[in-house]
Amino acid sequence: MGRKVAFIAALFGALALVGPAQARVEVQWWHAMSGVLGDRLNELVEKFNKSQEKYTVVAVAKGNYDEVTNGVIAAYRAKRPPEMVQIAERGYMTMLLSGAIVPVQDLVEQKGYKIDFSDFIKPVASFWSYKGRMSAMPFNSSTPIFWYNKDHFQKAGFDKPADTWQELEKQLYTIKSKGISECGTVLPGDFYWSLLENYSAINNQPYGTLANGFDGLGSEFVYNKTKVVSQVARLKKWLDDGVMQIAGQGFSPEQLFTSGRCSTFVNSTASHGNIERNATINWSATFLPHESDINPPLNSTIGGGAIWVMKGHTSERYEAVAAFLDFVAQPETQVWWHGATGYVPATNRAYAVARERGYYKDHPTREIAVLQLSRGTPNENSRGFRFGNFVQTMLAQRQEVEAVFAGQKQPQQAMDDAVKRGNEILRQFEKLNAGKTPETERP
Amino acid sequence: MTLRLSIPWREARAPVLQGRCGGGGSKAVPAAVAGSSRRSGRTRPREEAGLKRANFGDGPGLPTLLLLPQLLILLFFFFIPSLRALMQSVLLSDPFGTNVQFVWFDNFKTLLASSDYRQSIAVTFWFTVAQNVLTLGSALVLAFATDRIVRGRSAYRTIILLPYAIAPAIAGILWAFLFNPAVGPLAQVLHGLGIAWDPNLNPTDALILVTLAASWKHICYDYIFLVVGLLAVPVSLMEAAAVDGAGPIRRFVSIALPMLGPTIFFLTVMNFIYGFFETFAIIDAVTKGGPAGATNILVYKVFVDGFVNLDLGSSAAQSVLLMSFALICTLLQFRYFDRKVNYGV
Repeated sequence: MGRKVAFIAALFGALALVGPAQARVEVQWWHAMSGVLGDRLNELVEKFNKSQEKYTVVAVAKGNYDEVTNGVIAAYRAKRPPEMVQIAERGYMTMLLSGAIVPVQDLVEQKGYKIDFSDFIKPVASFWSYKGRMSAMPFNSSTPIFWYNKDHFQKAGFDKPADTWQELEKQLYTIKSKGISECGTVLPGDFYWSLLENYSAINNQPYGTLANGFDGLGSEFVYNKTKVVSQVARLKKWLDDGVMQIAGQGFSPEQLFTSGRCSTFVNSTASHGNIERNATINWSATFLPHESDINPPLNSTIGGGAIWVMKGHTSERYEAVAAFLDFVAQPETQVWWHGATGYVPATNRAYAVARERGYYKDHPTREIAVLQLSRGTPNENSRGFRFGNFVQTMLAQRQEVEAVFAGQKQPQQAMDDAVKRGNEILRQFEKLNAGKTPETERP
Repeated sequence: MTLRLSIPWREARAPVLQGRCGGGGSKAVPAAVAGSSRRSGRTRPREEAGLKRANFGDGPGLPTLLLLPQLLILLFFFFIPSLRALMQSVLLSDPFGTNVQFVWFDNFKTLLASSDYRQSIAVTFWFTVAQNVLTLGSALVLAFATDRIVRGRSAYRTIILLPYAIAPAIAGILWAFLFNPAVGPLAQVLHGLGIAWDPNLNPTDALILVTLAASWKHICYDYIFLVVGLLAVPVSLMEAAAVDGAGPIRRFVSIALPMLGPTIFFLTVMNFIYGFFETFAIIDAVTKGGPAGATNILVYKVFVDGFVNLDLGSSAAQSVLLMSFALICTLLQFRYFDRKVNYGV
């Protein structure tokens, strides 16, 4: 009896909840944020939903970036895509040329919102825009920075990590030889992003022809003829000498750093949340090192994700989407998101607000990513990467680098093979998208 | 031989075993049964025929009805997907399906020309063979030992069966952690013994690790069948052999093993299928196919190319080829090994 009453009460309760909500326009947003970042994202959506009466955004965690991508592909093919989806930077070309999206700037302007797209931080804007117009809403932009264990460096007699790879190498070998820590650094899980791609940008090395793909789909990889080869050789040497460790499966590289086992760690600025929570060590962060013969170093490039708007929804729902995107672009939202997660603020105004409030006095490491991203004048080598099937070419490259680590191939041979495989994959993308492609495209 | 024939109750058990063995290919088994009974000069057709005719008498109505659920499942989960895969394998398409080109057999040509794919075939071969030998070998020892354990037999069985209840991904993470060169306790033991164990760097170590993990997960499956198979070996026969002075190993090799023939054959086929298709989650958790593609078995490559790289054409072509491999492999096993199996046990 009691149970029945409870059930009926629950039913009415549910109806009461559903009732007023129906007046609002509901739109879905599929995303890939988990852990601390997922909680923050839900708070953001909650803020938006409370800020107005007309629209409800429902955030749905769909697993990691790959799973979100697959989910939205399946949903689109079944003609039931969500209104918005968060896709990682590597999927840019796939999304842009998919024919399944509505460019964000078009949508927002059509719905009468005035987002100042020219105010977006340069590397962020240039990465997510096509022919000068924003295709997706920059949401969680990050860049790799250099994390280090202050105590280890002090014990070894250094103030902080050196600016150049050459000097840094000496420091790491000193730390190791003095027995201060077991390993100087740990190989990041996404080393291809931080230690090869961003390395190329910072050190002004071309990664592919046609301005790293910005000038057309005919781009070919060329990193087998640049400093990337000696960079791979350097990593191999560090590994052999025990200066660098690989965390491997079943364990995260971050833990090797936060537990104090390895002295440094190259990782995204977005790990601020995790490191602040988990680290038992006296840590700090600084800029990524550069080669000693490259001065001044250029800007690094972004990673992370953006919000794409999917085709095939009603005008009413797109209003809700536009309202939400406008909310995301607001300096207040950006400042909050920046502080809550460690992702960089997307706009100059948001950055200025954070500065004015003295945020970086208390959190100096949070500013590094912004400074590093906006350092100097971006050129063809540092603007970013615009390759089709970029995940696939990256995995082929990773496999070749692993062959070097395993001692099966010499760095030059491996990079030659990686470029060859990568170019075959690029040609396939070019073939598939023949005719759809950008001519010269300059932001 | 004569001794074996004179045990009456085994006749009743035999069909049970045959039924299981037929799980993989029901056609081949009766033929082999007929062959073997001819060879041993035994008569059993009456009982066989009786079994078959007992149930369905009038027309095809009832059998069709009873088959329908299974046929529907096959239709939706096998035939339609297979057809889609076949179609997709000759297309070049973007993941959203808005841009599709017919490319004939380009996907297959590219695959067969790529060293990556050939490496994957080699890895799959070594992985499945090693996994098969290890799984069957350990399960045989464990199953044979079951009889010799007097105290706590049910606890022994339960412990062996437990891994089956663990999700492959979790099992994989466990193994990856235990053997992680930086923090894993078992890796520390290996390092202590002077073995430079590092599955993150060394392709052979990685392959050994996934083989161990995959076998560990599957031993219990083989074990169940082998324990049942061993139950069918008459105690009196074992006792007689023991009286004649055969030790446990001799009894195992000369009596139990031949009598387990059909079970072992069936398990071999099942182990190959397990290795081909079901070890995906373990690979994903333990090595992600690395390092340098050392554990990138075919089914994992299908997944990565299809769901991470979004190269649907190539992924479909790979799954078509993989299915053909599995089919050929199973057929070959039935063709060549089935003859050697004595179903007359």
